[in-house]
Amino acid sequence: MLRMFSYIHTYKRAAIIALLLMLIELAVELVQPLFMARIIDDGIMQEDFSVVAKWGGVLIGLSLLAFAAGITNSFFAAHASQGVGHDVRRDLFANVQSFTRANFHNFSTPTLITRMTNDVIQIQNVLFMGLRIALRAPLFIIGGMVMAFIVHATLALLLLIAVPLLLLFLFWILTQGVKLFRLVQHKLDDVNTVIRENLANVRLIKGFNRGHYEASRFERINTYLKEKNKHALWMMEVAMPVVMLGMNAVIVIILWVGAVELNMGSAQAGEIVAVINYATRIMFTFSVFTFLIMTFSRGKASAHRIEAVLQEEGEKEDAPTAVKPPIAGSIQFEDVSFSHFSHQANGLNHITFQAEQGETIGILGETGSGKSSLLHLVPRLLKPTHGRILIDNTDTAEMSMDHLRKNISLVPQEAHLFSGTIEENIGWGKEDAESADIMAAAKMAQIHTFITTLPDGYQTRLGQKGVTLSGGQKQRLSIARALVREPKILMLDDSTSALDAHTEARLLTELNEQQCTVLIVAQKISSLQAADRIIVLHNGEIIAQGAHSTLLKESAYYQKIYHSQQSGEVM
Amino acid sequence: MRKSSSSQSFNHPHRRHQGIGTPSPTVHNMKATLLRIWGYMEGEKRLFWFVVAIIAISSILSLLGPYLLGMAVDQVIADPETDTLVTMAVLLMTNYLLHSVSLWLQNYWMIGIAQNTVYHMRNHLFTHLQRLPILFFQERQQGDLMSRLTNDMENVSRTLNTAVVQFTTSILTITGTLGVMLWLSPMLTVLTLTIVPVMYYGMKWITKRTGRFFKQQQSHLGDVNGYVEEMFSGQTIISMFSQEERVKAEFAEKNKALCDAAYWAQTYSGFIPKLMNMLNNISFAIIVGAGGILALNGFISIGVIVTFTTYSRQFTRPLNDLANQYNMILSAVAGAERVFHIIDQTEEQADETKAEPIGRMAGDVTFEEVSFAYKEGETILNNINFHAAPGETIALVGPTGAGKTTIISLLSRFYEANEGVIKIDGKPINSITRESLRSQMGVVLQDATLFNTTIRENIRYGRLDATDEEVMASAKAAYAHGFISNLPEGYETVLDADGQGISHGQRQLLSIARAMLANPSLLILDEATSSIDTVTEMKINDALKTLLQGRTTFVIAHRLNTIRFSDQILVIEGGEIIEKGIHQTLLEADGPYADLVRAQQKEDSVM
Repeated sequence: MLRMFSYIHTYKRAAIIALLLMLIELAVELVQPLFMARIIDDGIMQEDFSVVAKWGGVLIGLSLLAFAAGITNSFFAAHASQGVGHDVRRDLFANVQSFTRANFHNFSTPTLITRMTNDVIQIQNVLFMGLRIALRAPLFIIGGMVMAFIVHATLALLLLIAVPLLLLFLFWILTQGVKLFRLVQHKLDDVNTVIRENLANVRLIKGFNRGHYEASRFERINTYLKEKNKHALWMMEVAMPVVMLGMNAVIVIILWVGAVELNMGSAQAGEIVAVINYATRIMFTFSVFTFLIMTFSRGKASAHRIEAVLQEEGEKEDAPTAVKPPIAGSIQFEDVSFSHFSHQANGLNHITFQAEQGETIGILGETGSGKSSLLHLVPRLLKPTHGRILIDNTDTAEMSMDHLRKNISLVPQEAHLFSGTIEENIGWGKEDAESADIMAAAKMAQIHTFITTLPDGYQTRLGQKGVTLSGGQKQRLSIARALVREPKILMLDDSTSALDAHTEARLLTELNEQQCTVLIVAQKISSLQAADRIIVLHNGEIIAQGAHSTLLKESAYYQKIYHSQQSGEVM
Repeated sequence: MRKSSSSQSFNHPHRRHQGIGTPSPTVHNMKATLLRIWGYMEGEKRLFWFVVAIIAISSILSLLGPYLLGMAVDQVIADPETDTLVTMAVLLMTNYLLHSVSLWLQNYWMIGIAQNTVYHMRNHLFTHLQRLPILFFQERQQGDLMSRLTNDMENVSRTLNTAVVQFTTSILTITGTLGVMLWLSPMLTVLTLTIVPVMYYGMKWITKRTGRFFKQQQSHLGDVNGYVEEMFSGQTIISMFSQEERVKAEFAEKNKALCDAAYWAQTYSGFIPKLMNMLNNISFAIIVGAGGILALNGFISIGVIVTFTTYSRQFTRPLNDLANQYNMILSAVAGAERVFHIIDQTEEQADETKAEPIGRMAGDVTFEEVSFAYKEGETILNNINFHAAPGETIALVGPTGAGKTTIISLLSRFYEANEGVIKIDGKPINSITRESLRSQMGVVLQDATLFNTTIRENIRYGRLDATDEEVMASAKAAYAHGFISNLPEGYETVLDADGQGISHGQRQLLSIARAMLANPSLLILDEATSSIDTVTEMKINDALKTLLQGRTTFVIAHRLNTIRFSDQILVIEGGEIIEKGIHQTLLEADGPYADLVRAQQKEDSVM
């Protein structure tokens, strides 16, 4: 929460003005019962109409003043809270931009989105409230009691005893309530999870005939939700009736004591009325308190979630010693090991190999053998836990990140395109890409012909409101995007899997003609056959490497795969 | 969606104002929808009326309070004798006590009613969902359905909890206060009421603006949401291409636009409580000033002034709340309508009356002149004929959209054929109950779907009464045991709904293990192995060979090498079977299948 408050520093002028304006409103509200007492005692009791008119006029004038202060406050409070919201979103977004895969493991995309939107809005609301009413409620209670003391000390003493007790009680109930509501939220999440699963898996559930099972599962968690919800709500509903009863009892006592004092001549009627009026107003403030505590507890939870993201350390900035050597494209893995955060799968053990500039290296291995990890290590999307990776004899860890990545293109397994035109998508990798470059890359990626069949050609919009592409078309666009940067190192992570055989073959031939070093992961040996060398990965280790013909002779494992794939084809 | 339901329990002016100005939801038939919700209160309708009665009582008591207090003040001032004081104090305390008790009771019971009602609605909705045909889910966006099932239901729940009580209280309080004020002093009442028109026009002026800005804010928020989602899910690409700065700059623009719209929305909505405050203060001044004059002239007592100052607040506050509560109810009714819309969807056709459960089936499948169209004129399948003998493996080959999946869906009775007959073991498929049919079928789907529970439970989904040993045995058979044991928590690893933590191929292994456990007579593999690498697939193929023994299997395969040994290959294009036979004869026939195979061979010659 503290870190969130520090954001207000930028808007401290607006915040201070808002608070001052709020104090004006508060002051007006506080003096009102005082004037009321004056009107009753000096005006009506003394049958002096001029006093009534004078103080009545003052009351209206003060109301207008408070109104003006309140309206102006709204501008400043909104400015401060929206400004903070804006800044928090900006920083969140910027920090996520430095996130590595490890960071994304801690925060999934949906939770990041929730934090960036709902949680920030929650913080904004807390701030807006804070600048408008949060201090007002406690100040009003304090101020109200002080005023009551000024009016009549003995009567006010009753308030001084009762109000803190009632506040404590209110606070206690609400803390309990907040705890219970957290449980409700968990149950609600459970219910939503089951619904989500049932929507996503409808074919499976029908296929396995599990309708009744799902229904009874749902009924069970739905019952939990109902019960928890009832308990939480019931708990909260105890608060107000009890507090009101307590406060009303205090008012009756004030009246009683007031009557006694009146009898003794140590109190005036107007004074009793004024103290009762303060008590009533303080009672109304309690409901504001309830609201404040609820808002703050929600805001606190949101602040925690936001701070967790802000504190997450992403990629570090380049060290000042980072170098930017010219890159030709040879890659060297020196005893590289890597292990994932939570599980052993996809790790790598003591990998050593070399790829000369311009070579094409194929990588083969089963699911979880570490193929993708190996590729991701090169542009430092992952960091090796042991060993070094050198490009043209410079350790990648010592290079400037930007420089390193500018020279490498990686096409991931799942093609992610952005909403925008096809041209924008291909040109994404290179800011100054000309139409001609883009078209050349598209031709190389075997997608140009398809693009020209679209009514808007390269200006066709993709994404939510645009056309939807097949998996193969997406893969080819994503390859074109990688090619347009003319990378020195090109890495394809099983990114031709959805292409038909013809297209894939043409694409691979094109790539072979490029000057760059190519690392290609594929499932089909046929996609790798032409590679200069093939590395066979098994459980994170290189178990064989060499050209297709060599491996076919020497590696039993490779032979087995080859034959299983060949058996499907004739001849 | 995450909005905690805790926001509902306390009614406070500032909270209530938040909703003002947000565009009014569209409600089609308020009365009918309310009646339907009323229908879900089965068994608690009497309690509901009782709650309404208590609300009436608590409203009266809340009116009586200030009146009694005013009277007490008068008496104390006029005659500070102990007798009257005792009477007044007892009277006041009884009133306050009853008021608090009735407040609590009305909420206690109403929460019970509301939660039970929502519970029934949710259950009904979910059970109904299970009975809806597949087509329903295909035609709708999952996000929209999700929102109806969760957000809209939550909205109904929240509103039933509080809005009903609040709305009734507001109306009763307004009428009651007005009545008592008129009775006390018509003249002072009229003076108090002078603020009402000011309030009305003031609110109208504000809400006209907030409405516009809230709409803008909503659209900008959607914009930011969409952008963030797209960028975060493509984060690898962004880092890879070093586009962080560009993306930040783009985000800054959207962030600024949202900030600007939200600034005005918040500023204007902040006017509302201030306007109310001012009007309350002015009415206070009017009451005191005018009341003072009236009191001077002896028209009213000082106690009446005290009473009026409280009443005027009790009067304006609910008046101001009414609009908001009504809006809340409207939005809940609109939500309920969206929910009922789903409940009103026709269920999957019931089994024909003569339908009988089929025992363990042999797996003899015949399609006789089967045609199918979702809508008239849009034929998906046309005159499909084939016969699969028990234990045979049938491969369906052809481009996406050719109708392969539809054939499977007809066999599973997700849809009904428009023409022709499908027979299983010689019986027309519609003479078999769906349940018994599907209990004999196992499916492994293209998008390996998993549940948010442990790996063990995910596999067990194939047969709910399977022992742990059986689960493990089928995992071994599906070559999933190896990677499962490698996970730190093994079979107890809890999977995310979106399957994070394990690879796509591993997810498919799990879904194959699940199908193995089910031990079905009919097995359906829908491109099940398409994203498993060849090495893994090799293992799987061995396992599948065992699995296929004695089961009729339909394979929708992407890669032709996996189906070479199929007993029949059906080449499907444009909803028709354009070729069928076994691998060798189809090759010799040199037709479309041979073309496809040649395409794969060519790839070798190129390399």
